[in-house]
Parts: sequence; structure tokens; C-alpha cells
Amino acid sequence: MANTATIAPSGGKAAPKPGKKNDTFNMKDKPTQVRLSNITAAKAVADAIRTSLGPRGMDKMIETGKKEVVISNDGATILKHMSVLHPAARMLVDLSAAQDVEAGDGTTSVVVLAGSLLSAAEKLLQKGVHPTQIAEGFQYAAIEAVKILEDISVPVSLDDRAFLLKSATTSLSSKVVSQYSSILAPIVVDSVLRVVDPAADSNVDLNDVRIVKKVGGTIDDTELVPGVVLHQNVITSAGGPTRVEKAKIGLIQFQLSPPKPDMDNQVVVNDYRQMDRILKEERNYLLNLVKKIKKAGCNVLLIQKSILRDAVNSLSLHFLAKLKIMAIKEVEREEIEFICKATGCKPIADIDSFSEDKLGYADLVEEVESNGSRIVQISGIKNAGRTASIVMRGANQYVLDEADRSVHDALCVIRCLVKKRALVVGGGAPEIEISQRLSAIAKQRTGFQAICFQAFAEAMEVIPTTLAENSGLSPIAIVTELRNRHANGEKTAGINVRKGIISDMLEENVIQPLLVSTSAVELSSETVRMLLKIDDILAAR
Amino acid sequence: MSATQIFNEGATQERAENARLSNIIGAIAVGDLVKSTLGPKGMDKILQSSTRGGDDGLVVTNDGATILKSIPLDNAAAKVLVNISKVQDDEVGDGTTSVCVLAAEILRQAEQLLDQRIHPQTIIDGFRLATSSARTALENAAVSHKDNAEQWREDLLCIARTTLSSKVLASDKDMFAEMCVDAVLRLQGSTNLDRIQIIKKAGGKVSDSYLSDGFILNKKIGVNQPRTIKGARILVANTPMDTDKVKVFGAHIKVSDTAQLAELERAEREKMRAKVQKIAALGINVFVNRQLIYNWPEQLFADAGIMAIEHADFDGVERLALVTGGEIASSFDSPELLKLGSCETVEEIIIGEDRMVKFSGVAAGQACTIVLRGGTQQMLDEAERSIHDAIAVLSQTVAEPRIVYGGGCSETLMSKAVDEAAKTVAGKKSIAMEAFARALRQMPTILADNAGLDSADLVAKLRAAHYDGKNTAGLDLYNGEVIDVKGKVTESFKLKRQVLLSASEAAEMILRVDDIIRCAPRQRRN
Repeated sequence: MANTATIAPSGGKAAPKPGKKNDTFNMKDKPTQVRLSNITAAKAVADAIRTSLGPRGMDKMIETGKKEVVISNDGATILKHMSVLHPAARMLVDLSAAQDVEAGDGTTSVVVLAGSLLSAAEKLLQKGVHPTQIAEGFQYAAIEAVKILEDISVPVSLDDRAFLLKSATTSLSSKVVSQYSSILAPIVVDSVLRVVDPAADSNVDLNDVRIVKKVGGTIDDTELVPGVVLHQNVITSAGGPTRVEKAKIGLIQFQLSPPKPDMDNQVVVNDYRQMDRILKEERNYLLNLVKKIKKAGCNVLLIQKSILRDAVNSLSLHFLAKLKIMAIKEVEREEIEFICKATGCKPIADIDSFSEDKLGYADLVEEVESNGSRIVQISGIKNAGRTASIVMRGANQYVLDEADRSVHDALCVIRCLVKKRALVVGGGAPEIEISQRLSAIAKQRTGFQAICFQAFAEAMEVIPTTLAENSGLSPIAIVTELRNRHANGEKTAGINVRKGIISDMLEENVIQPLLVSTSAVELSSETVRMLLKIDDILAAR
Repeated sequence: MSATQIFNEGATQERAENARLSNIIGAIAVGDLVKSTLGPKGMDKILQSSTRGGDDGLVVTNDGATILKSIPLDNAAAKVLVNISKVQDDEVGDGTTSVCVLAAEILRQAEQLLDQRIHPQTIIDGFRLATSSARTALENAAVSHKDNAEQWREDLLCIARTTLSSKVLASDKDMFAEMCVDAVLRLQGSTNLDRIQIIKKAGGKVSDSYLSDGFILNKKIGVNQPRTIKGARILVANTPMDTDKVKVFGAHIKVSDTAQLAELERAEREKMRAKVQKIAALGINVFVNRQLIYNWPEQLFADAGIMAIEHADFDGVERLALVTGGEIASSFDSPELLKLGSCETVEEIIIGEDRMVKFSGVAAGQACTIVLRGGTQQMLDEAERSIHDAIAVLSQTVAEPRIVYGGGCSETLMSKAVDEAAKTVAGKKSIAMEAFARALRQMPTILADNAGLDSADLVAKLRAAHYDGKNTAGLDLYNGEVIDVKGKVTESFKLKRQVLLSASEAAEMILRVDDIIRCAPRQRRN
């Protein structure tokens, strides 16, 4: 009953340090400590994925909570699966996810960069610079950095296929599938170009690019399929066709099984003759449906999945097989839009509206078997929409998943180029350039901005340093040489990781979209600013 | 404790000095907790939830009301402060931290007076006199420019900038200030903020955010339906579009063979077709339903050339009905009773990676949508709170157009008035009034402290400037100087008045308490 008032529930569930009771002011740490602990936690995350940056970066193996194993080199994927607890560290995970959404690539660099900026901020804090001043200084520095990037960028046209190929190759080169980049890069470029209208579009809907993954074979066998690929299989249990030429494709959203109204119902059978009648009627009912389908000229039938009743039963399959109609079931509702767009058919929700104008036409629908798995290919489609299908193969599920992620990243890279048609070189060259020009700007300023600019400039060097480290080169030798080259006006000099020397990146064809770099700088500085402004962590309800 | 036990076991009582001190310390602790978030150089807090995991459990914020709402407190006085901060949030929308901090500072001063053996009631009397003279001073200082359109807009922009400068959006405050002012001016004096919709999409950077006229619905258009409609006539509905079920428990049908079953199924389909036809007969071309639209009606709508949007949430349909000027319909038998909404264009747009439906040129011209982009979810949430604060303050200012100056200017002005009033009051009350004036001066002190400046020096300079007759002197926290804040840092008069009144009322209430009785918590049986 003393003067110690408690503002927290004593020994409550929410108290961060159990065991300490009635300790009002231990609820919150001192602002500096909080800031330092945030920085340490965030840096730990950045350090964890640092080694996976660049073409010689290593992969991580993660065992998820469900005991599934994920092997990946993709920053966003690694972070997503790491169960990060510290709030500041969680913000870096979000940062990586944001880069994934915005640019799709550079998810590792953005986190590494944020980590480096935080170390720089830490040093400034120790010098006694006020955190909001650091935050402000970094913001201006980031704006300048983006200007510099735009200045050194090269405009690119979507007609220039070679350039697009090079940037896709750069993105793929840091992944597990790097040795296949000569196969995957053209696939990626072609599929995006197939989806977009280069003149009109300023964005790409990657939902229009479908990736079908099948285990078996190697990544070499991955191909961009002319037409459409379905991952569902043809139902062959009743002996229906698996190859149909001059196909008329119908996409139905009703079921070929005995009728089932939404009301609860009960069929009352009074005597055994009635049982025969019921069986006969069911037969007639289904036959009628199938006949109507045949009458409209349809010979390939895609059936949407239903949770209420069976899509098909053995009897209707039998009829379909008799009438030489190919049947494919388990089409998800989300896929309807893609299939409609790709094949030019329209979904049919009722047998009465099953008419010829709703069908799509293709020269050939075929179930092909290769490398131990079957896929359905639809080729020679008339009135096809702007879609692309990629069949991806790999020796095991892990390789396949990682290849899928890598191809997605590369697709995003091309999408970035559609959004913002400019390129910068890779290999750490733009970062060094930013670093040098920012230090030059820093020298012209006075006050806290000058030191913040200088610190930002030095922090940018983390990317070339890490690239060199991960490739087994001497970071000091490499980075100093890079600085030297850039100071002498070689704006495109970067680290040639394969040869272990400094060379002109434009000649080495190491290029990446401008958007990836600008968004990495902007997003990481934004997150760092937000982290710096935090002075307290409170336990909330 | 008294010798005879009159309370239940477990109940406790704190009396007189103890009770007062426990209250004051609790309130001061809360004030100290949020004090560092005050002002343009204020810091943020991380709130980590112990019960919720994932992104929901992690909040980064600068908003006093949000911080106080989230932390669990077990002190009566602390709860009072949380409450006034909540009320401030509801009334004005901003100043939630200030009100808490001011109340805490007043109580800190009161504590010293109590040490000097001044009776709480005397202190309260003095505080009342002080409040009223501070209020008069504030009212005298308030100006309104509503007659001059240009000046008026400039004032609003200034208020928005002041509010936003203490938030996460500070770096882009000019852009967001324009955005908020435009949004609020569209409301034409209404304080119903439902018409301003905020959509958050992760990805992109904060400066990619924009104000869009019209309304954006985060839903997809059905398959095979028109993607763009000009001159839209919209029906907003809440009706089952799967089947009209008989909602009698256990209702079921008995049939004797499959053909009848097939007929039933057919009948159900016909019923749905009739329903769709009825809807189509209204002459609409956009149909928005709160519930699911199944494949079959979706196809019927597509055939009729109607854009059908399913599964719009409650909030979505209500706002949509509001902005398009329609009403939510649930039966279609009497078309004359239905009120359709309308707008110029309905189109599909892509924000980030998602497709959405945009209704532009809506009937209620007031409606608009602010699309927020940002790196992380925390950033977006905080940005939304900041925008909400700014919009709330602006809409209040439109209703009560008087403004006062910020940057510690109004507080110094009030403290000067209180000090001068104290000189004319005889008795101990005047000591209390002086204490109140000191509490008011604590606000600029905290502002300067948070910015890492020499607060004692600056506040003394500020005070001197005011006594020198410069009524609009305030602090420039970016450069650490005393400047003329006229036209630079502006705040809503209503906000400041509300802060003053709520804080002094809360302080008075806490001071009046001399006994805390805590009931024993009810025992839970296992």
C-alpha cells in the first residue's frame, strides 16, 4: 500500500519479463536501448540472408513448422518461412515482401541494404545525432540516390529482345537454375511479350502467365507451350479419347451426375419395380445431358469442381466416352477466367444455355506423356487471348519449387521493364556510383545532412562488398578497385563474379531493370526511417 | 487498515494522501509514456500484442489514442487519462497525445502544491479560474479566414501539415496535406467521414499514394462481363444469388423418382432465372451484391450484359449505396420502391497486383478514395491513422472555422494570460493558477526536448517574446529558433480548446478523489 502505483497489471500475462512484479517502469526500456535492440535484431535478419546475394550466393534450407523442407535462394521466400519474433525484424520481413510485390526481384538486396543503413545509423546515433535528423538525412539521400540511378540508366524498348533476354539472365543467374538460364530466359521473355500489348500496356498481369509444374525430367525440358496447358488430367477410366483433333471446347459449371436440388429431398420408393424405374430415369437424365452437349458440337468438356456434388459419375463418363467426348474435371473456379481468356470459350452454367457460340475452338487437344507425367495441351486455338503457359519440369519437388520462384522473379523483372522502360547495369556498379556521387554531394552540404549523406553513401557499398565476399574474392581489393574505376569515369564498371575481376558490365550483359534498384533504395530507406523513429516497445493486449 | 474489517476479503482501500498520490503517479506515468511521441520530432512506439500473432499483433504508431487503447492498465487514474484521449479522438480526431500529456503535467504541478499543504479543493478552485482565463485568451487569439477562399484553403493546408508533421507521413506532408484538404473540401461541410474511403495496398512507396475521385471497391468483376461501363445505373443489393432457400428447419421434399428430382432442379433454376430477369428488367447495368453470386446467375448477368460484382462486404455495399445515391435492395417485386444508384463510369483498374473496380463520377460528388501505398503493413496502418487524424481535424475545422497558432504559441499565450490573471487574485488560489501556467508551459518544453533542443533556453526565449507583445511567436523545431509562426504552424481552435478543457477537467476529477476502494476480483472456479 505504499506510494508505488502500478499502471500495469501486476505480474500480468502481458508483462514482458515474467517474474518481475509491480515493476512499472521496467515495462519500457530506455529509448536508446530500444533503438539499439531494434537495430541489432534487424541487422541479424539482414546478416542471415546476406550470404544468398549474388550469382555465387548460397541457398538456405528451412524446415517449416509443418516439417516441410524449403530450399531457396530467394530472399522473400527465406524470410517468409523464417519464424521471426522480434518486431523490428518482422518489419524487415515485410520489407522484403513489399519489394517482391513491387519489383519481384531484389528481395535479398533490399534487406541487406536496410541492414547496412541501420549499421550506419547506429554509428551516427553513437556520435549523438538525433534519430529524427538521421531519418530526415537518409530520406534526402534516398531521393538523391534515385535521381542518380535515373541519371545512369539506359532507356530500353520492348522491341529490343536481346536486352530483355540479358536482364532475365541476370536475374536467373543468382538462382539454383542459373545453368539453365539460356533456356529459361527466352521462355520468360516470350511469355511476357505474349501477354502484353507493348504499345498500350504499362503493367502486366502475371496471372495471365500460367506455370504448370510437373516432377520428372530435368529443367532442360521446361518449355513455353504454344497454346494452353492444363494441369488436370483427362479422365480415362471409362475409355474416353485422349486426343481430339478440331476440338470444340466447352467449359461447364454444372454437373453430370444425378440431379440434386438445393432443398433437402428424399426419394420414396414403394416397391421394387420403382427401383428399376429410378435407375432407368437416372440413365435417361444423364444421357439426355450428354446428348445435348454432343448436339452443340462439343467434343472436349472441362468441368468445374463443385463442393456440393460429384462433377461426374461413372455412368456419365461412360456416355461421354461413347460419344467420343474428352472429359476433364476438377477445374477450380479461380481458373475459369484464365481458361476463358486463353481458349476463347465462355463458361456455361446450365445445360439449356449450352450452345455452339459459347465453345472455344482448337486444332488439337491432346494428353501427352513425357518424363513420367501427363499433361493436357491445347494447341492451335482460334481467338486466343493474351495468355502464356509454361510447362516446368524438374527432378524433384524442391528443385521445381525453386525453379518456379526463380522464373517468377525473372517474369517480374521483365514486368518491371514494361512498367518503367529503363535499365541499369548490375554487379554492384550502380551502388558504387551512388556512393561516390552522394559523397560528393555530402561535401557540398553542412550540418547533419552532410554526415547523413556520407553515412548513406558508405552504406551503399555493402552490395558490392557482399557480392565480392560471396564470390570468394577479397572484398577490400575489389571494392577499392571499383571505387577507383568509377572515380575515373567508368560508370558501368562492376564485379565480374565469374572471372573474379572488375570489368564493364554492359559488355558482360549483366543488366537489371531500373525499377528494381530504385524501389530497393526507396523501400529500404523508408523502413530504416520508420525503425529509427521508434523509441519504445510496449506490450499490448 | 482499520481494525474492524468491513470489506470482503481481498478488497483493499487506499486513503487520503495515499490514494491521491497513487492516482497522481499513475496519471503521470501514462503521460510520460506518450510524451515522447509529441510534436514533429516525436518518436514512434512498437506495440506488440501478447495474444495476437502475425502482422495483426505488431503495430508501429505515433498516435496517442492508439497507444493508450492498446496497453493494459490497472490504475484508476491512468484509465481516466486513456478515456479522455479516446473522447478527444472521437470529438476532434487529433490531439490525443496532447490532452493526456497536459493532464499529466497539471497533476505533476498539483502534486507539488499538495506537498505544500494546500488543500485539493483550493487547488481545484485555482485551476478553474486558470482554465477560464486561458480559454478566454485562446478565444481572443483565434482567427477565422473563412470569408477569404484563398486564405482559407491556405489555413486548412497549414493545419493538415501541422497534424501530419508529427506522423509517419511527415516526409511527404505537403502532398498529403493537399490530398486531405481536397478530400475534406469535397464533403462541403459535412463531418461524415464515411464518404472518404481509404484503401491500403502494400508495395510501392508512400509518395505513390493518390487521391482518386469516386469510389473503389476491392472486388472483381464476374467472368465474361463488361469491364467498363459508361453511364452506369447501379443496383446495390443484399440478396442470395445461389438459391432462395426455404428457411424452415427440416423442410424437405419427398419425391418418388429421379425425373421429379430433375424437375425440381429445373424449377430452382427457373426461379433464379426469373429473379435475374426481374433484376435486369430494372434497367440496370451494374449489379453489386453483398452475397455470393453463383455461376448460373453470373452467366445470366453476363448474357444480359450486366456487370455483376459478388461478395462485396457490408462496409463496401453501405458506402457504395451512400456514394452512388442508391439504396440497398433485398427484394425486387416492386421496382417503384427501389432506388437505383448511378455514376458516370465503372471500370476495372489494377492497383499493385490486384484488380479492383472503380466507380467514378458518382452521384454524391463528395465521395472520394485515398489510395495509400507503402513498404510495410505497419507503415500503411500508421499512414491510415495519420490520414484519418488529419481528415477528422480538417472536417472539424470546416465546421468551426476558427484557428489558432501551434508550435507552443497558444500554450505560451495561455500561460501568460493565466499568470497575469493570477496577479489579480488574492489568496492561495493564485499559487494554483501559477502552477497551471507552468503546466501549460511544459508543452513547448516537451516539444523542444523531443527535438533534442535546449528546452529551458528556448522556452524562456519564447516566453520573453510573448511578454514582448509578439503574440504569434512559436518554436521552429527544425532549426531550434523562436519564430513568428503565423501562417506556418496552425492548429484548429476546437482542438486546442478541447485539449485544454478535457485535460483540466480530468485533472480536477483525479484531484477530487481521496479514497480508492478496490473490490476483490471475482474468484473463478477452475
